[in-house]
Formats: sequence, C-alpha cells, structure tokens
Amino acid sequence: MQEKEKRAPVSESRVRLVVNGETYELGVQANWSLQYVLHDELGLTGAKEFCERGVCGACAVIMDGRPILSCMTLAIECDRKNIETIEGIAKANHPLIEAYVKYHCMQCGYCTPGFVVTAKALLDKTPTPTEEEVKEALAGNLCRCGTYPQHAKAVLEAAKNLKEG
Amino acid sequence: MAKNERQGETQGEYKKLQDEGKYRVGLDIPTITFNKIGKRGVRRLDGYEKASGKAIYTRDIKLPGMLYARILMSPYARAKIKRMDTSKAEILPGVRAVIRYDDPEVKDRMLNGSYFGPEWVCPELAGWGLKPIHPVLAEEAWYEGQPLGVVVAADSEEIANEALRLIEVEWEELPFVLDQEEALKPGAPILRPGTDTNIIVHPADKRGFIEKGDVEKGFREADKIIEFRAKRNAHLWAGAEPPSVLVRWRGENLEMWVHEQHPYHAKMLISEWLNLPMNKITVHTVYQGGSYGGRGNPANNSENGMNILAALLARRTGRPVKFLYSRNEYFYGESGDMEVTYFKVGTKNDGTITAVQLKNIFAVYMCTPSIDHFIDNTRIPNLKCEGLTVDVSKAPAWWCRCEQLPNCLCLTLVFDHVAAELGLDPTEVALKNDGCEGHDMAYLSKYKREHGFPDRDSLKECIEAGKKAIGWDGKWHKPGTKRLPNGRMHGIAFTWNHNWDDVRGTGSAAVMIENDGTVSIIGQHADIGVNPWTAYCQIVADELGMRYEDINIKPFNLDHGFALMSPDGSCNLPSNGYVVREAARKARAMLLELASQKFAGVKAEELDIKGDKIYVKAAPEKAKTIKEVVAKAMPMFNSCVYWTEPPVLAWAWYTQGLWGEAVTTGRPRLCRQAHFIEVEVDTETGEVVVTKVVNVNDVGKAVSPETVEGQMYGGTYMGLGRALTEEMVWDEQTGVLLNRNLLNYKYASMLDYGPIETIIKETGMGHGPYGSSGIGEATPTMIPALLGPAVYNAIGKWIEEYPITPDRVLKALGKA
Repeated sequence: MQEKEKRAPVSESRVRLVVNGETYELGVQANWSLQYVLHDELGLTGAKEFCERGVCGACAVIMDGRPILSCMTLAIECDRKNIETIEGIAKANHPLIEAYVKYHCMQCGYCTPGFVVTAKALLDKTPTPTEEEVKEALAGNLCRCGTYPQHAKAVLEAAKNLKEG
Repeated sequence: MAKNERQGETQGEYKKLQDEGKYRVGLDIPTITFNKIGKRGVRRLDGYEKASGKAIYTRDIKLPGMLYARILMSPYARAKIKRMDTSKAEILPGVRAVIRYDDPEVKDRMLNGSYFGPEWVCPELAGWGLKPIHPVLAEEAWYEGQPLGVVVAADSEEIANEALRLIEVEWEELPFVLDQEEALKPGAPILRPGTDTNIIVHPADKRGFIEKGDVEKGFREADKIIEFRAKRNAHLWAGAEPPSVLVRWRGENLEMWVHEQHPYHAKMLISEWLNLPMNKITVHTVYQGGSYGGRGNPANNSENGMNILAALLARRTGRPVKFLYSRNEYFYGESGDMEVTYFKVGTKNDGTITAVQLKNIFAVYMCTPSIDHFIDNTRIPNLKCEGLTVDVSKAPAWWCRCEQLPNCLCLTLVFDHVAAELGLDPTEVALKNDGCEGHDMAYLSKYKREHGFPDRDSLKECIEAGKKAIGWDGKWHKPGTKRLPNGRMHGIAFTWNHNWDDVRGTGSAAVMIENDGTVSIIGQHADIGVNPWTAYCQIVADELGMRYEDINIKPFNLDHGFALMSPDGSCNLPSNGYVVREAARKARAMLLELASQKFAGVKAEELDIKGDKIYVKAAPEKAKTIKEVVAKAMPMFNSCVYWTEPPVLAWAWYTQGLWGEAVTTGRPRLCRQAHFIEVEVDTETGEVVVTKVVNVNDVGKAVSPETVEGQMYGGTYMGLGRALTEEMVWDEQTGVLLNRNLLNYKYASMLDYGPIETIIKETGMGHGPYGSSGIGEATPTMIPALLGPAVYNAIGKWIEEYPITPDRVLKALGKA
C-alpha cells in the first residue's frame, strides 16, 4: 500500500482572544480567518459567511471598539484583542435587538447580525447619530432581501432608548 | 394531450375538490372578529432569533465526526474530461473519500430531472423542469463553473479544497456559444450530442405556443402597428447563504439538513435515486439565508445532485458529510428571463389595443409564455406568443423571483410603447385595456357580484393612489423634454399588472393544543424570510379566539408528516392561510367538545374561547382555563395515577389549485398593482439616478401589514438592481463568467436609491383567505422593466437591452 503523502506541516500558534468578555486560549492555523475561528471553533455562529470577500459585512464583529470584517481578518493577528460579537450584544440586552425586531429589519435574517454589530459600533462611538450617519455607517452591509429602509428607524430608536436608559 | 382535453380533465378535478370543500370559489367572508389579523405592531415571530444571531442556518450546523465535501468545477465553457488522475488527492492525509465520474456507483447515473419521475415535467409546469439528461457526476461540461467530474470528502474544507487542487485533469476543450441568437445561426456549434439543432423548445411544442383570437385580424383593425425588440441579459438570485447540505446515515435511515425551498421534493427525489423508501428519510429545514428560487431547481446538480453525492460520500465513509458550495459556485444558474423578444402590437388611436404578438427566444431551458399576463389582465382580443428556447453554453436558467419576469417585461413594454407612440398618458392606456381573458370590466363586475366580491375597480384605485403619491399630474411630460437645474434629464414612468398570486399551492398542517393550554402549529415550512409564520399564528390565534403570544409554529422538521406549501409563487398566505385556519377550526371544535364535558350540562356550541379561557356564552363568569380543560388530553403519559384523554390535535389539507386561467380555475384575477418611478438621467455619463419609487399593491387583505410592506420595498431594491446594475458578464473569447462575486455582481446597497413609498390597497377581492392575495414576488418582478419607459421618458430614446447600464444609455444617445 502506498504511503500517505505528507501534507506540508501546518503552522499553528496559540492565541488568546477575549470574546464578549470571556477569555479563550486556542491554537489557530496561520490561514484561519477570525470568522472561521468564531463560527466553527468557538461555535459563535452569528458572524456569517456570505460574500466571502469583505463586501457584505455579514461577518462583522467589533474589535477593540472598531467594527471589522472577520472574514478578512486572520485569527492569528487577533492575539489579546477584545472582540465583541452579536452573541455578546444580545446577551447584554442591547436595545438595538428589540428595535430591530420591532421594525422588521430582517427577512431571511442571514445578514442581520452583521447590521446589528455595525450599528452597535456606531452607537458606541456616536450615541446620538443623525439618520444620515446611520445610513452611512451601514452602507457597507448588504441585504439581498432589501430591508434597507427599516434600519435607520431601528437604530435611531435604540439610540433614544439608550439615552433614556 | 391536447390543451382542451387537459382543461376538461382539470375542470373535473376542480369541481371534485370544490364539492369536497378543499377548493373554494368566491369571496371568503370572515366568520370571526379580527383581533390580530390585519393589525400593526404584532411581534414578528422570527425577529428575536434573527436579530440576536441565534437563528441557526444549514451552514451553521456541525455534527460529531462530520466531513466536508467539495466538488470540482469546470474551468471551461464546454469541455470533456479526457483523463483524470486523482491519486495524489486520494493519499492526502485527511481525505476520507473520493468519488470519480467513472466510479461504478455513479457512472451513467442521471440526475432525476423532475418531481414526476424520469420524464419531462408535467405540462402544467410549463417546461420548468429538465429532462434527466445530466449525469450526477458528469464527464463533460456544458458551461464554465459546472460542478462535475469528482467529489471529495475530507476532515476539513481546506483539505477538501487542497485535494481538488491535487487532481490532475486533462481536458478536451470544445467549441461553445453564449448567445441564443448566435446559437441558431448555421455553423454554430451544436451543444447537445445526438441532435442537429440547439433548439430545446420549439413553438410547435405546445409549451412554446399560445394563441387567442386572430392577431392578423387584430392588426388589420388597428390604426397603428408598433414593432420593436427587447433583450434581457442574465442575472440571478445571489441569496445570502451559500448552498450546503448536511447528511448522516443512521443505519438504513438517512437524515438530511437541506437548504432548499422544496424539502419534500428533495425527499422524493433522493428516495427515487437511491432506491431508498421515503419512510427511511428524515429531512430537517432550519433557517435559510434566502433562496428566490435559487435553492429550488431539482434537476440541477446544485440541488438534487449535491444531496445524492453527499449521501453517497456519507455512506462510504460512515460519517456525516456537509457538502459546501462557495460564493462563486453559487453562480450556477440564471434567471429564466434571459430572452430576446420581438414585439408586434396593433392599436387604435385612442389606445385600445387590438392585437399583441410576441416572439421570444429564451436561452437555456426556461420557456415562459410571456403572453399570460395579457390573457389574465386585459380585454385585448387577439394574442399570440411563440417561444423558442435555445441551448447555449451557460448554466440552466430557472425561477428567479420570479418566473413572471418575462411576462412583466412584455406587458410593461407593450403598454408603454403604445402610450409613447400615441402620445397618451400610460395610466389611461392601462385603464382602457384592463379586463380579463378578452373580456372588459363589465364582465369582471358581473363575476364579482355573482361571487360575493365587492365590485371595486382595483386598477383605478391603485392608479389614483400612486399618481397622488408621486405627483404624476404635475410631473408627467413628453419624452426627452424636461432638463432639471442639475443638468440631468427627468423621467417618470408607470406600469401595472394583476397582483399575484392567490390561485395555487397545496399544503397541510396540524394545530395542537399542548398540555399547558398553549398552541403549536405543526407543519414543515422552509423559511426564506417572508415572515409567513407570524401571519399563520395571527390566523390561528384569531380563529381560536386565543392570544397571539400563546401560538407557536414547529416548521423545522418534515418527519411529522405535515408540510405547508413551499415559499413559492407569492402564494404562502393564500394557500397556507386556508390550511392553518381549517386546522384551527377543527381543533377549536375538538377543544370545545372536550370542554363541554367539564362544564356540567353545557353543550359545546354554548361555549366560547377568549384568551386563555373557555367560558359559557350565556354566563361568562362560568369559565375554565384552557389549561384546566386539556389537563388530561395528552399524547402520552407514563402513569396510572389518573386516566388520560386523547390530545386535542386536528390537521387539515387544502389546495388553492393549479396556476391557470379562470376558465379552468373559476377564479379570474381581480386584484391589481401599479408602480411609479422617477429618475434623473445624466446624459454625459449615462448614469440613471432613481429618485423616487411608489409601489401600490392591492393585496386584497393585509394580514400582516409590515410584512406586506417589507416585500414591497425589499423587492423594489432587488428590482432596481436588476434594472440597472445586475448582469452576469461572460468573456466572449473563453466563455468564462467574469463576475462570480458580490463585488462585481452588484446589487443594491442602502445608499443607492431614493425613497420607496409603499401603499397597500385592500379591496378584499383576493381568492385567498379573508379576501387576500399574494405579495412576495410582485415588486422585484415588476420594477426591472419599468426603468425602460422611465429612461425613455427622460431622454426620448428606448434602451433595447437590460440592464440599463450607463454604456447602453450613452449608446442610445449616440455618444458611445
């Protein structure tokens, strides 16, 4: 029997990720994207694989305060980074979630977590955005179902609710 | 079988179903007071799961020991595998199975092409299925990007991909042709072995030919004959979640998680292919990231083929297998409106159309007789449509939200060309020809009165509302005459149609009163985002007299035997609304019967339900909670402490019938829709800027108004993308699709278009429950064609080819 061909050794590094306030230490291969690690290794399936090339925003997470595309980010570069995902935002009962439900900001729902994450990053930085600022912040998120008119309504309401506590 | 014979047979079937109460004709008059039905602010059932990232999609599921499967894609437009060496892939660590095209298990095995066995699909499906001529693992590619040749299962997706890279293939490239008119010319390569033509469907075939009246007579009676041509280039679904299937064998039992619109059909087909009894197959359907028809072509490798190959790999390896397509591989088809149409229209000077003749040349498979909407909606007496379908070196065209695109393109262009040629207001031309199957509005009024419908003029109401919203009377102008202060040309346009669909679909479901007094709707249903479940729960709540919050649906599993009509054809609500309502009514009767035993000396008909209580109508203070009443009504209980009672569970099956003309269905189209658009055209750059859209849809009755609006504006975004930017572009030299990604296949983003105003009309004239009609496909199908007349109104030139890209605008202006 023919000997199994050897694959080139895969370089793997240990990284420490702080995801939604919890620390994870794991080995990641050099070519793994952050989206893969979150979705497949940590089971945080809210960050979706949609366009696969940084066009759609469905894989958005917040890293050290900034919204980033996790499909375009290598996990190996995220050592000691603070990462916030949709799961953390939902767990914290952020008013965006209820506002999104109220205004029907989802249809098939596959892109919705990416929108909520991007909107959360906006509100962290700009607690009382204008409608135009909301639209601009979300302009990089694609929704094939075309829920676009609803998002600004939801985000502005969430901002109001946040302010009023 | 001749069409008339079939019609007669179909009429008999309708009559029988009508007699059995499983098919209804006439207004559906509500028997209940609406509490949630039609109300705004009802909490969306899937909302929290989707907003919080907790909704699970097929691609999210992982099973212990799961392998990942990937398939080879053809790099050539047309090529044959001469030799394939898989040895390096087979010995790659982590590779668990390789199945080649010449493997005895798949060699010479065809995909089963249709829902109806190894034949062409039944004529009622208008040729939307494929002949089972394609192997499950082909040796020859007939389009670039075709899945074929070899499939690999490995420990990870990466290893599977690496294995594919290690496979050496020697290809024999063959001549190809991309354009359907080119494919008809002498000397064009013949793509299908064993034939001498690229024609798949010929007008002589009954699917390709429809004639009503006598068009030659109609042309003789006309004051004016208008002839023109239009071409629609390829676009496609581009749904959010790339395709996948997950399968696992439990001994002889096969378990599948599918991302498909028609899971029941998936079960039928895989059973047939594997010769596996249907009762050994379990199908799960979790949330689905969009479909728009793209996850619904049973004859394509990307549907039935991937299910079969995943099952074979899983059986070989004894492990669960998830078969994945990537984003670029999701470009495995086109919309079924890849067409060239030659129009000839006869009209009187006042806008009365006397004849319409269409000659369609479709590419790859779909053949929609695009005269249907003239039959359904107009009094035009003479209609003729010849449809030719031609093979080209492209993936099969298929439903794409929706198959009515050719109809809408043709209806819009005919009406707007007539208005333009005669210098008439297009809204007046529409009203002058509105009708049904050659009859005028008096005929429809008579029908409405005889069948209990309110006699309202739906089109007139839609037009009035839309004109007001867009300011039509002050804005409509002669073509090419209004330059704006910003230098752009202003354009405004209108189109119309019937509001489909309320006449087809079949489904089943059960309503169960759980032991705690809450209610479950049991029936598999593939979610593609149109929020039907909220509507079903609203209906069940109101029919039972219970609280909406106490109703839930169990849609993720096919095993319990009930399956609601698939999310197709805009007929979720018109078919399934009846299903869940009937099941709720039966369950209510059972519940009251059981309750009457708990109230001494009270009959079931003397009881009523409100919220979580059952009470005596004559003495409302005499009440019991539903929970008390069903305390012992349970499907199982492991105890001898007390006697149990049978569960309160009732199921129903209902059919809205086949899609067809009123003469067979008994249901003429009564609800209409009207759409208005305003654009600005930059004559220097060719850019078309959409500044305002108004959608007016007469949905009969809006059970969930926010959901209806979501389909209207959401579909409009899709429609605008199709009209202006969405086009699949092939390299003419190589036949390679150049934009297999969402960077270069562009659809709408949040900032691309001006505001969309949605106006719901509720005339109560739908054939669905409570007088409802459909909404899911209306705007994405109607809006694309509307940009043609809008740009014409702006620049005074027709753009013959869609989408209307800047280069085509400049060409029409003589600048390119």
